[in-house]
Amino acid sequence: MKSIIVLSGKGGVGKSSITASLAVAFSKDKKIVCADCDVDASNLFLLFSLSTNKYKEWNPLSTNQIAIVDKNKCIGCEKCIDTCYFKALKFKDKIPQVSEFGCEGCGACELICPAKAIRLEDINNAYIGYSETSYGFNISSAQLLPGNSGSGKVVFEVKKKAKEIEPKADLMIIDAAAGIGCPVIASVTGNDYAVLVTEPTPSGYEDMLRAFDIVNHFKIKKGIIINKYDLNIDYSEKIESFAKRNNITIIDKIPFDKSFVKAMTEMIPIIDYDIHYTKIFDNIKKKIEIEMIK
Amino acid sequence: MKTIAITGGKGGTGKSTVATSLAYELSKTSKVLLVDADVDCPNDHLLLSIERKHLKTVKQRIPKFNLIKCTRCGDCGKVCKTHAIVSIKGNEPIFLQNQCNGCGACEIICSKKAIEWDSKDIGKIYFGKKDNLDFLSGELKTNQPISEFIVNHLNEEIEKNKHNYDYIIIDTAAGTHCPVIAALENANEIIAVTEPTPLGAHDLEIILQLLEKMNKKGKIIINRSDIGNKKIIGLLANKYKTRIVFEIPFSKDIINSYSKGEPITIPKILSVIK
Repeated sequence: MKSIIVLSGKGGVGKSSITASLAVAFSKDKKIVCADCDVDASNLFLLFSLSTNKYKEWNPLSTNQIAIVDKNKCIGCEKCIDTCYFKALKFKDKIPQVSEFGCEGCGACELICPAKAIRLEDINNAYIGYSETSYGFNISSAQLLPGNSGSGKVVFEVKKKAKEIEPKADLMIIDAAAGIGCPVIASVTGNDYAVLVTEPTPSGYEDMLRAFDIVNHFKIKKGIIINKYDLNIDYSEKIESFAKRNNITIIDKIPFDKSFVKAMTEMIPIIDYDIHYTKIFDNIKKKIEIEMIK
Repeated sequence: MKTIAITGGKGGTGKSTVATSLAYELSKTSKVLLVDADVDCPNDHLLLSIERKHLKTVKQRIPKFNLIKCTRCGDCGKVCKTHAIVSIKGNEPIFLQNQCNGCGACEIICSKKAIEWDSKDIGKIYFGKKDNLDFLSGELKTNQPISEFIVNHLNEEIEKNKHNYDYIIIDTAAGTHCPVIAALENANEIIAVTEPTPLGAHDLEIILQLLEKMNKKGKIIINRSDIGNKKIIGLLANKYKTRIVFEIPFSKDIINSYSKGEPITIPKILSVIK
């Protein structure tokens, strides 16, 4: 199974809208599966007229552990507090208190405790499952529970889930989160191609460079889509000359169009909302296919 | 002193637009510090055309293996939850430094004291100024995973300097995970910026749930309020007993300023802090 990741660094540049339409375009002649790797705010399914109760499967997931202190065994030596690199333990009422927001589940406190008063316990930090679209393909997704950590590991589970529900798919299309931290790094590893979506604004440009660094680090082939390219022609040219210098293909330039928001509001992929985009995304698809075998 | 964090869940809803515009307006009459805590993709300096100056480099500890003392027992790899150490009994440990979070479990388990400490640079803290507005910005080095370490350093700077200010405005990253939580932790007031689309509403709800869990009160700003369906945001405001305090209509002027890197003026933005 080949895989394509769509990422942008900056949020709101049109990443999910483009992912959704790209998926529809590819699904016309390929068996595909989508993986929504934005596990902080998993919302790709909303672009396919699916509501939260349309999951075919939606189950608790545990990828993280949290330290639990046994009051009766604790001797109050405070070694755990000095050891915790994340400052997640505080001494209160003569016993270490674990902050659920701070604990990374690393286990250093468990190892240092001379009284064996600390153990790690699995916590349900996310939900994982999949939904079926009306286009004949499925989307695997997960949602990190508010206030929980471990998004990187949840991302790996979403990719695993995609393979599990569609073991015979030709192609997996991945929607990454905004940013460049842990969950994005986890999303980017192991893909065959990366689509960098950007917009011609100072922020869009700088964030595209950051995303580019990540993709480069993993030596993944890549191309750029400039969305809303006519908002600022100077910046669009700046992006194009960056692409030229680095020998990256500009897959397409899409003009600013309010229809993107309208399509999103009606929960329809733009490729289906406006006939004009069918051709655009079919072309994008063809270009990516050529790029991938280059 | 009032600390106001600007967040929202979904990317691109206008967090930075609101944060920079609010901070800049406030700075005309008060002492204000704007903190860009979107350390994955910090852009507030671009929006305000601030030239950032280096304040400090953020380091994280990483283990250094003393191979003379190391008996190749493989224990360090077994306790490493982030799989940064791959060690098989009989072989030298292989260390993948990008994956290390510095937890120190390897040092504790090593009975031969073969693990010493080194450090790696994971990001930078910058400062700057725009007229009367003071500015702090954190930036994660690419390919380093732990954004919240940088946010924690920003929090330390805020703590050190807060007595100098009437207002501290913190601009958070998109999403709801660790770096966002760290940025929200010290705020006395939180403003969630959203857009009236199903995606905006979906992500806003997760932020409102997070705020409930953190025992914090939040207010809502609807950006591009005239495109989409405002009702869905209103329903959420009722469900989570919060208020929509401000609406910003879709404006080509804002988009134009944004795309040029000019400070954005939102009329009456100061009303959100009353």
